[in-house]
Amino acid sequence: MNELSRTQIRDLMAQVLKNQDKELPADDAAQLREIGFRSLDFSELALRVEDETGEELNFDAPGLRRIATVGDVLDFLVELQHQ
Amino acid sequence: MSEPADTPLVPPSSVVLVSGGSRGLGLAIVTDLLDAGVRVAAFARTITPELEKLAAEHPDRVHVGSVDVTDLRAAQSFVREVEQRLGPIDGIVNNAAMGQDSLHAHTATDDIARIIETNLTAPLQLTRLVIRRMLAKGLRGRIVNITSICGQRGFPGLVAYSATKGGMDAATRSLARELGGRMLVNSVAPGFFASEMSAVLGPTQLDQIVRRTPTGHLTEPEEVTPVVRMLLREHTNINGQVIVVDGAAAI
Repeated sequence: MNELSRTQIRDLMAQVLKNQDKELPADDAAQLREIGFRSLDFSELALRVEDETGEELNFDAPGLRRIATVGDVLDFLVELQHQ
Repeated sequence: MSEPADTPLVPPSSVVLVSGGSRGLGLAIVTDLLDAGVRVAAFARTITPELEKLAAEHPDRVHVGSVDVTDLRAAQSFVREVEQRLGPIDGIVNNAAMGQDSLHAHTATDDIARIIETNLTAPLQLTRLVIRRMLAKGLRGRIVNITSICGQRGFPGLVAYSATKGGMDAATRSLARELGGRMLVNSVAPGFFASEMSAVLGPTQLDQIVRRTPTGHLTEPEEVTPVVRMLLREHTNINGQVIVVDGAAAI
């Protein structure tokens, strides 16, 4: 399977934010609330990862609610590709 | 084909079939109906100790079975067993349902199909099965569909679920027309419960709903059972309605 690395997902995340004139901080501990990365931005990112890998990534909402930092987003999507 | 009904009153249901009767609201409905002296047939995928206990306490008035609501054959044989043990069914509570907690864009297509099969197709099939038997015997009866406030108001993470609940509310109205007063058909649409399926909404969303609810609390199963019992047992002219039980949260 064509799997994206954490760094590649980080690049895609930066693009999602850049389209909204926002910047992705280098620090994984940065809070999503502060950088303005909302749940539909997460959806957009997940769908971009899907486009790259050609695999659907389906997931329930509870996992999504636990995501608070940039690192959480990257961990979640890396993990999701393994399921 | 809508003819004026030449019908006497629909009598109170005496043998009621409850789907998904093993826990949560379904179990509360079974318990409440037994307290009211009704004979109850309850099925669920898994029979819980609570349901087993009720069956043991009322051996002459309860029949329970392990049936998946989407398994029409199993439902059919359960209905036959019930008729032999308790007498002809003249009331149905379509309660069995599965919840959802996923954004539509990220819900697997198989999961969407399964939600629709369980929450919409299966209750329509079960209703068809039972009303065929009731019509054949010339019985009058009552049908109560347990739906949800989601059938009328929007909530994220519940798109397919809402579609099925709104679908059952729509079926309720058409069935009430179609059955021409021989059967009273209504929906009861609870707001979110503190437990069970509304674990789906997450604490923040539930807190928000509580804040917006004039009565200041989420719905409890015991607040819904009297309404279900009334629709099954009382002489009212309520037919084809959706009764919301949510403390005015959605108003």
